[in-house]
Amino acid sequence: MNYDRPDLLDRLAADYAVGLLRHRARARFERLCTRLAPALNSRQRWEDRLLPLALAVPPVMPAPAVWQQLQRRIDELPGSADARRMDVSRHGARRWWLAAAASLVAVVLFVGRETWWAPVTWQAVAVLEPANQAPLWSVERDPNGTLLSVHTLGTVTLASSSSYELWVLPRGAGNPVSLGLLPRHGSLQRTLTAAQRQYLLAGAQVAVSIEPSGGSPTGLPTGPVVIVAPIAHSS
Amino acid sequence: MATALDNAELDELLQRCAQQDRAALQALYTRAGPQLLGILMRILGSRAAAEDVLQDAFIRIWQQAGQFDQLKGRALSWMVAIARNRAIDVQRTLRPTVLLDVAELAGAEQLQVEGPAERSESGATGAALRRCLELLGAVQRQCLVLAYQQGLTQDRIALAIGQPLGTVKSWVRRGLRSLKSCMES
Repeated sequence: MNYDRPDLLDRLAADYAVGLLRHRARARFERLCTRLAPALNSRQRWEDRLLPLALAVPPVMPAPAVWQQLQRRIDELPGSADARRMDVSRHGARRWWLAAAASLVAVVLFVGRETWWAPVTWQAVAVLEPANQAPLWSVERDPNGTLLSVHTLGTVTLASSSSYELWVLPRGAGNPVSLGLLPRHGSLQRTLTAAQRQYLLAGAQVAVSIEPSGGSPTGLPTGPVVIVAPIAHSS
Repeated sequence: MATALDNAELDELLQRCAQQDRAALQALYTRAGPQLLGILMRILGSRAAAEDVLQDAFIRIWQQAGQFDQLKGRALSWMVAIARNRAIDVQRTLRPTVLLDVAELAGAEQLQVEGPAERSESGATGAALRRCLELLGAVQRQCLVLAYQQGLTQDRIALAIGQPLGTVKSWVRRGLRSLKSCMES
């Protein structure tokens, strides 16, 4: 593309601001903006022109857990004060670890047949069965609640314009929290966010609702709830 | 719930974020987080996914706050662009072929261009944008709103409104051209 032509540059800037560029084209244009002032000016003018459309969308208050998790993620960024502290303590602990590792090897050699690593053991969360019907899915999690695993057990019949969405229902008051869509066949594994994990580990029940294809547009169940099942908490 | 988003204040908070000031990040999150989450939920259709992307966006804002100063742009536009671009990438990975339902299409007809978060400075731009959008044909307007507010590709807009891709591209192009000349007049 000829970047000397202001009209073409402006078109590209408009496409960027609207969100029409694909990932690579967008990254290319962002790089261009760092070295070509007219590109940056066009982009900023388009972003400012369209901004009222974004601000017209009603605000939504994030859950408190979002800020807490954000803080943790920032602490873990390379170069953050906490990460530096961890680096220092890791360095200090290196000798201890070397000694411990040597002892561990000795123990493993001594014990012989024993293994010292543990495979993931899945724990049952719930079996999901509609009233008076055979079970449709089984749901499991890893011991930490970081991974969720869902297996389809029966034949899932649902119009392609709809999806089944899994929710965890908190104990007492509080809104259901989505754990994502359920598969129509086969199995899936999903990494849960910290918030989802927290709700799952503390929740009392899971539920399944019928939602528009792709999931609830509001973040809360919008369609009929077809299954409610207790969460099995291992003691 | 909404508070006015003062650009000068956001600008100052971003400058403090560039100095690794965590209190400034928290203030920025408190001011802009709800507005950004609303925008992200509109694009992603899921609160859980939108909250994940909100975190991604603020991490990027935190990491790149130093570059914002060099861009000399408007703080809110810069933050909205970071959040929208991330959401658009996630949306295209998560549900690349999902069709819109009637309610979503109907939503695109609602041309509220003055939101609760606007202050008077941007209110003037909002009024101009609304006036100029109203001058467009209904279908051109719908294409632009679907692309901007819901982050849809032109392919998906074409599927959603049952028109050929070439026609949609031409409407979007003409719509943007008309919008620019109207808002500059």
